[in-house]
Amino acid sequence: MLFRILDPQTKANQFWRDFDRLNDELTRSILDSQFGSPSNFPPVNVYTKEDEALVTCLLPGLEPDQIEINVKDNLLSIHGKKKSEELAEGTEVLRREIFNGEFRRTLELPFRVDGEHVLAKFTNGILNIHLPRREEDKPKKVSITIG
Amino acid sequence: MNTLTKENKQEVTETVEGKDQKSATNVRVYSPNVDVMETEDAFYFHVEMPGVDQSSVDISIEKDQLILEGKFVMPQESRGQVRLAEYKEGSYFRKFTIGKAIHSDKATAKMKNGILELTIPKMEPKKTKIEIQK
Repeated sequence: MLFRILDPQTKANQFWRDFDRLNDELTRSILDSQFGSPSNFPPVNVYTKEDEALVTCLLPGLEPDQIEINVKDNLLSIHGKKKSEELAEGTEVLRREIFNGEFRRTLELPFRVDGEHVLAKFTNGILNIHLPRREEDKPKKVSITIG
Repeated sequence: MNTLTKENKQEVTETVEGKDQKSATNVRVYSPNVDVMETEDAFYFHVEMPGVDQSSVDISIEKDQLILEGKFVMPQESRGQVRLAEYKEGSYFRKFTIGKAIHSDKATAKMKNGILELTIPKMEPKKTKIEIQK
């Protein structure tokens, strides 16, 4: 964090909580731009509906068996390892920009996920993960009886 | 540096105005990552184009100019509330100048897991002997 407000009383205030979060994010983005953090590889999009979430992720060049997906409560982690392919003898590399190596990304979802029913599909280098919301986590309507 | 690495990046801008009828909407143009390899008899290009279908890739070679294009369209159906958007739809564009003689008509390409794999065979240098007239 760039700087911190030490008075704990301010924490209760919504404004200071938002301010802290902004502070945190700014610091992280400054650090990332300076040191190049792998934490935002691969790029993802996250969409949510009331009862499910969809995470799409750009992973060109990976085989489905090189990708590992783990779900625990409201955390989704995508992990993978991309090996650089063996080059035939006499091959000269003129340019190498494509990512190689290991990556891990953990995302926080707004609800807990039913880990048994997660569906993942990989097409054209894009990974789509459908994450249904856990039954007991779904919002329930409470009817009020007049007593 | 090899002659092949001469590359034209000028035309790549983060956003360019769409040329077609809907010129009001901006189209995002990405410069895709590439790996370029050379062997004794061919050039190999690996181009990252996630989300691009085989049918929407355009490869053209004119003289020594290699142009790689691809369109990346996201599904239209509603996917819910957007919580995080680190990438958007758009198109990929990259241009190279190849400094060696190539067989452009014998080039082959395929898409594999969002990577375009292009092979361009080199042309064997032709030797022509010229007799000196007496």
